[in-house]
Amino acid sequence: MEMDKGRGLSYNGGMKGFFGWTLGVLAAVTLVSCGEKGGSEGGARGTIAVSLLTLENPFFKIIGDHLAAEAKAQGFEALIVSADKDMAKQGNQVKDFIVKGVDAIVLSPCDPKSVVPVIQEANAAGIPVFTVDIPCPDPEAKIVTQIATDNYGGGREAGMAMIEVLGKSGGKVAILHLKQAQSCILRVKGFREVIDAFNVKGGPKIELVMEIDGGGARDIGYRAAEDALQAHPDLRGIFAINDPSALGARAALEKANKADQIAIIGFDGMKEGKVAIKEGKMYADPIQFPDRMGVEIVKAFVKWSLGEEVAPEILIPTQLYRKADGEKDPDLK
Amino acid sequence: MKTQRSRFLTDYGMVVVLLLLCVFFSVVTYTEQSATGVAAVGQVAGAIRAGERVLVVGGQTTGDVAFLAELERQLRAGGVEVMEVVSGGPREARKTLERAMSEGKELDGVACSELAGRWLIFENVGQAFPGLSGVRVVKPQRSRFPSFLKADNLLNIANQIAVIAIVAIGMTMVIVAGGIDLSVGSLIALSAVLVSVLIRDYGGGAEAGTWQLVGCSLVAVLLCGCFGGFSGLMVTRFDIPPFIVTLGMMLVGSGLAYLLADGQSISAMPDAFVWLGRGADLVGLPNAVVLMFGLYGVAHVVMNHTQLGRYLYAVGGNREAAILSGIPLKRVVLVTYLASALLAGLGGVIMASQLKSGSPTYGTMYELYVIAAVVVGGSSLSGGKGRMFGTLIGALTIAVIQNGMNLTNVESYTQKVVLGLVILGAVLLDKVRK
Repeated sequence: MEMDKGRGLSYNGGMKGFFGWTLGVLAAVTLVSCGEKGGSEGGARGTIAVSLLTLENPFFKIIGDHLAAEAKAQGFEALIVSADKDMAKQGNQVKDFIVKGVDAIVLSPCDPKSVVPVIQEANAAGIPVFTVDIPCPDPEAKIVTQIATDNYGGGREAGMAMIEVLGKSGGKVAILHLKQAQSCILRVKGFREVIDAFNVKGGPKIELVMEIDGGGARDIGYRAAEDALQAHPDLRGIFAINDPSALGARAALEKANKADQIAIIGFDGMKEGKVAIKEGKMYADPIQFPDRMGVEIVKAFVKWSLGEEVAPEILIPTQLYRKADGEKDPDLK
Repeated sequence: MKTQRSRFLTDYGMVVVLLLLCVFFSVVTYTEQSATGVAAVGQVAGAIRAGERVLVVGGQTTGDVAFLAELERQLRAGGVEVMEVVSGGPREARKTLERAMSEGKELDGVACSELAGRWLIFENVGQAFPGLSGVRVVKPQRSRFPSFLKADNLLNIANQIAVIAIVAIGMTMVIVAGGIDLSVGSLIALSAVLVSVLIRDYGGGAEAGTWQLVGCSLVAVLLCGCFGGFSGLMVTRFDIPPFIVTLGMMLVGSGLAYLLADGQSISAMPDAFVWLGRGADLVGLPNAVVLMFGLYGVAHVVMNHTQLGRYLYAVGGNREAAILSGIPLKRVVLVTYLASALLAGLGGVIMASQLKSGSPTYGTMYELYVIAAVVVGGSSLSGGKGRMFGTLIGALTIAVIQNGMNLTNVESYTQKVVLGLVILGAVLLDKVRK
């Protein structure tokens, strides 16, 4: 009995602790299982399972909430989980969905490359896969449709907003980019095209003097805007590809006492961004509609399941949000 | 006799908890399942009379293709007129029905596979196609069976926990010897990135052969082992608390993984690489699961039947006594960190293989799941106590709870709460036992 050496010597209380523990775990699990589920059989017509990149970001939370509401209205049940940006976790969630025999799987992939084998597993089980916000362009993964913001159109709207401000006077404009993100490349493309078309018309020119990395984040946007001001003290406008970098740029302008000279156009329509627009700190935002994305996914699934034609990509248009919209916005009161 | 029984319960209490959890989830997931395979073919074919004209519809999965072929054969043998066999999605089914209508063909019924039976187009054919209101849709009948107990799901659970369970072997050794290793999560990521970078840059990328793959994997695991050796040296030579050393190594490992991968995920690897993570060669058991059980077998022997095992318990149980009785304490402790890092490296390679790519974001928080598996399995964080078998049960318990909650539609936030409570319960049990 050599092997007994390392183990505990006292067995007092073992039984009691063991049963207490068992009861505790079972009670906890029973409680949540019964409290949460609407019956494990799902909705009357089936289950739509959703694994989102994260639920910490309100953008995805809104997608999930509206998807669940629309699913319920159509007689389905939605199972929404967060992958917490962990690809392995997302993979396991999809495996569980497949075993559960759900009717559709909706993903915003944690990684467009690593998600391919995961989607292939769902394909092999004959379950339709939809992606939202983040696409998976690999042809080996079969996806019914990808639903996202029309970033190119949004970029064009941002360009038009810049013309509203600088159209009469012209001036130098800097772009705070995030080149790693395909969505941001499209935003800048649309923006540039509108400005270039405007300049061809003659009259005062809007010059795109620099394009620097704003990191899509407040701190990097702040530093980038400071650098832009050093290079071009007579800057008149900044287009930032999202709200955090736009707000970072605004802070840099305030520090340099140039807030009135330079107009900022952001992108997103996060609450902070909307507040800044209402207070006149930013000129405008093309805003995204995560709520519509959630609803469109369910509609696309129903269409698919009825055998109707579903476009391989569904783009949700953005809408320009200016100070006047902020003053009317009930969410900001 | 009585002492023996209570001792059994204390040692293997977690097994009973695990079984109870399984029973519990079997009951709550007891739900309607459609018949599949041969039984389903018989059911559907039996519901259609000779002389009827039917459309046979199913998906494109391997199961459905076989189902459709067998169903068509049985229907024809039974004198049924099969108008057409559609293997595709609802879109193809609709097109075929529309064409049949426009050509004015008469149709008595549609015979569906289980998969096609779930499409909304067959929910109410009369509504979707007013001209076809008399058409009967025959689907496989539903029977009741717990989703949890389906063979697919049980393999699923084992496969999902394989990485954590394998890494937990090393962690058990570290914890039994009185230490802790926080760096395993980062080492998983580092190893996954290392193996993908090696394959991409030196193994020939997507054209890499078997030996290159094995070589790259071994190098990645060994490099991770170096990290473990370094941690072990810091702990034994300079007497720095293992918590601090491995916390440092956790940051170093994670940072290096991001540097090496340039913050991206790397997926230039051949299809053959997924053999380890997704293949299933031995009687349908996934290779990662077979590897997991094999490693547990080896670890069990090492812990219970070798000198090293006895030294580990002695070092963790009473350090002073161990030194006085001449046990090479430093070497023993070093070995535990080395083993932990090597196994974390192996875990990273498996994960890269499962996902066919390596990314520095892998393994986030895994050190905590691994430690949880060890603690739930009955090891004491103060050292000297713990069994390999217990750790395996601990890992499976965590996997069963996570899988069960996914199957019963418990959303993410609540899942975390429950898992946290389970870990607390386990530590509480540890205290009560003392």
